[in-house]
Amino acid sequence: MPEYMLFIVILLPMLTGVVFPILPIKKRSYRLLFLEILVVLNSVFVWMLLLNRPESGFTLAHFTGDLTITFKMDGMSMVFAGLVSALWPLATLYSFEYMTKEKRENMFFMFYTVSYGVTLGIALAGNLLTMYFFYELLTLVTVPLVMHTMTREAILASRKYLYYSIGGAAFGFIGMIFMIIYGTTLDFALGGVLDLVKIGDRTNILLLVYVMAFLGFGVKAAICPFSSWLPQAGVAPTPVTALLHAVAVVKAGAFAILRLTYYCYGTDFLRGSWAQYVTMAIAMFTIVYGCSRAVKETHLKRRLAYSTISNLSYIIFGATIMTPLGMVGALSHMVFHAVMKICSFFCAGAIMHQTEKHYVHELDGLGKQMPMIFGIFTVSSLALMGVPGLAGFISKWNLAYAAIESGNPLAFGGVGCLLISALLTAIYMLTIVVRGFFVKSKVTEANEKQDYHDPNWMMLLPLGIFAAAIVLFGLFSTPLVNFLTDVASGLY
Amino acid sequence: MIDYVLPIVLPVICGVMLLVLGVPQKRSNLLLLVSVAMTAVLGIDVLLLTKVSGVRLNLFELTHNVAISFALDRIGTIFYVLILVVWCLVMIFSFEYMKHEQNEKRYYGFFFIVLGVLTGLCFAGNLITFYAFFELLTLTSMPLVLHNQSHEAVMAGLKYLFYSFAGAYLALLGLYFLFQYGNTLDFTAGGVLNEQMAAQHQPLLLVLALLMILGFGVKAGMFPMHAWLPTAHPVAPAPASAFLSAIIVKAGVLALIRVVYYIFGVSFLRGTWVQTTWMILALLTVFMGSMLAYREKILKKRLAYSTVSQVSYILFGLSLMEPVAFSGAIYHVIAHGLIKSTLFLCAGAIIYQTGKIRVEELNGIGKQMPVTIWCYTIASLGLIGIPPTSGFISKWYLASGALNSGNPVFAWLGPVILLISALLTAGYLLPITMHGFFPGEAFDYKAMKKAEPCKKMVIPLLILTALSVISGVFTSPLLAQLQMIADTIF
Repeated sequence: MPEYMLFIVILLPMLTGVVFPILPIKKRSYRLLFLEILVVLNSVFVWMLLLNRPESGFTLAHFTGDLTITFKMDGMSMVFAGLVSALWPLATLYSFEYMTKEKRENMFFMFYTVSYGVTLGIALAGNLLTMYFFYELLTLVTVPLVMHTMTREAILASRKYLYYSIGGAAFGFIGMIFMIIYGTTLDFALGGVLDLVKIGDRTNILLLVYVMAFLGFGVKAAICPFSSWLPQAGVAPTPVTALLHAVAVVKAGAFAILRLTYYCYGTDFLRGSWAQYVTMAIAMFTIVYGCSRAVKETHLKRRLAYSTISNLSYIIFGATIMTPLGMVGALSHMVFHAVMKICSFFCAGAIMHQTEKHYVHELDGLGKQMPMIFGIFTVSSLALMGVPGLAGFISKWNLAYAAIESGNPLAFGGVGCLLISALLTAIYMLTIVVRGFFVKSKVTEANEKQDYHDPNWMMLLPLGIFAAAIVLFGLFSTPLVNFLTDVASGLY
Repeated sequence: MIDYVLPIVLPVICGVMLLVLGVPQKRSNLLLLVSVAMTAVLGIDVLLLTKVSGVRLNLFELTHNVAISFALDRIGTIFYVLILVVWCLVMIFSFEYMKHEQNEKRYYGFFFIVLGVLTGLCFAGNLITFYAFFELLTLTSMPLVLHNQSHEAVMAGLKYLFYSFAGAYLALLGLYFLFQYGNTLDFTAGGVLNEQMAAQHQPLLLVLALLMILGFGVKAGMFPMHAWLPTAHPVAPAPASAFLSAIIVKAGVLALIRVVYYIFGVSFLRGTWVQTTWMILALLTVFMGSMLAYREKILKKRLAYSTVSQVSYILFGLSLMEPVAFSGAIYHVIAHGLIKSTLFLCAGAIIYQTGKIRVEELNGIGKQMPVTIWCYTIASLGLIGIPPTSGFISKWYLASGALNSGNPVFAWLGPVILLISALLTAGYLLPITMHGFFPGEAFDYKAMKKAEPCKKMVIPLLILTALSVISGVFTSPLLAQLQMIADTIF
């Protein structure tokens, strides 16, 4: 396919989003149909690009010197773009039903669809400048989504999100500057692009800058201690928290860290250094921290947000192992967790949409009235725990395999952190399942009096597809893992 | 392939259909359907058992080199036959017992699914498959624990769940490492460790071995992670308690057999600090379980503590890593399985007929339910270890094995603790018999009513009691099988 398609798939959703509020179509269902068709079309284009990869990149603009805005599709782009484009049409479909109970949906769909294009911009970025540009842009277009309900809570949450993200990006910017000076190029290349001659004996400074950039991009990936924006952003409508704050935004942070580690600095430079140990320790701590907070949290969406914090650090832990197998583990969890977490969030959203209940202790006995939702929630819970036969087991396996193969003693401790997290995940997810199906209390009696039922097909279809994907990936993951291994070895 | 897959899948399908389908509503129709399904499942299981060749079946790979594989060997067959026998009899007992409980369809549904999962455990040919079914076992047996959905039951179910998963994840840690440090994850008599790696990483592997023993030991109720057992077993409906105590804890035992004898191998672990630690923990549990049972006033909880103690007899025998003790341990798996299910079903019959749950309320119960309490008594004698019951055989072999083992401390300490525990066992089991048949002068003989349960409950009791005695009298067939197994793994 021609290279300019790389730019088209980014531009098309952005234009669609911007045009949506001023579209001359009156009837709601036709407007939404138009939107869905364009989103699906864009996803089809992305997958066509995946399957017929253009060899070279597409340069949109030149700034001074060698600084360009360039798009290119390499292995990692394929994974992230493929994931995001597969999930976005389903999330859009889900939000059609969800937004019937919210206001100002034109604004919502505008920013939601523009975010699609911006996320693809991060995925398809061919160099650090382009990625940084779209990274900042993603913050700006998602702030209105967090703020959507315009309650005081939402405004405070979006402010916190904005400050944290811009602050983090500033540190990422420092990393970029050092790459411009000490790198042979700003383009992404597996193995890194550092000019070792130029660095000389200033290795420690470069390592320090790496850690700063890691922390900076890590803000979006919700690493401790910069994670508190994520649970607060749970105040946004569920399609936002689910897609953006469990898939697009946070995965963009993890993606950026992977790019930084494997494609800018290069693992040969970083492995064995103090920077590796520091970043690995941060990831390990966040894994356990996220899960521990989740156990104590009683607000359903915030509980899932803490779970996201923990799971993102699985991906980052894989990245900090700094071997090709580590990258395979990280990428497999990036894909599988996205599916599992979007499934969990959508179930939570469906529960909130149907029952107006937000807290875990209000959910007693709802499983009988909403069996499909709770059934699918059970599948996603078991998958997040890592029960064999579901997707989570495979990605945890890959991470543990990479950790043990590396021989790094800290990584061995990391495997222990993964398992502690698995137990805590069992606790905070299965208590919800047990409440839904098995608990008989006053709350159950009150719930039974209401007419609660499963939502309609627009919400159930995406959920069903996600649940099927979780099972499919759990049983037949070899093709995907093979592909990721090829990506990690630089085939693409 | 059908030999392995059908016995696993068929009960699961029956169970899922029972859970999901809205019919049948009428109780008699439900029982009819369940009986038909039961007969079909058992028939097919027995038929395929005679045909299965023990050849390994690699079903498919989850990911590179992580295969789901089945291979039925002798030890798996022994566990499998025990499971089938106890399952069948407990189900028949349930037909009558569950009349007084709600959600009967859900109960049978999960009971079928658990059978399928246990079958998968017995058939498992490598550690991955075993681990997968082990996690599934916890998930599918939890609804049996919290069946009556009282607050107590739900909390007990969650406690069971979290303890079991903590144990499973300890084992998974070891599994992650064994995948890389072992030649294969297939169960191989004598162990699968790569000799180079084993020498290089010995301290790490020993730590992992202990973690795996502790992890799988959670399901077997071994100290220090035994606390779930006395909470979870009593709160389930009595037939489910019987099944949990008699069979599901044996999944932990099977896990330990597989890990110690078929993955790490006796030669790697014998004489190490891991073995010593395991022996100490097992004996500690034996003693502690008996003591706590002696002091416990609620009958089902007393029997649960008894399970904690008795299963650690088995674990002690396994920890000795000596052929005679091994035979004793496996013999006790069967003896305890038959005896403990009898005891729990008796307790269930007592609750069903009289509603009494505390030991002190059971004065004169023998006069009211003679057949039941006779079964109870004979089973108790088996647990204490009085000939000619199967419990005697297993204890004899355990003690002989300990004396044979040549270990400076445990060769004599083991039999001493076993003896003390036997006395305590008599102390916590026989009072029910004694006060039951000889309630004393103060008892109101006139007010007493006959309360023998109906045939559906009494016949399984009689069969199980008979089996626990028969397996003590006709020992040669089983001992011959155990000798053959011992020859391969030592």
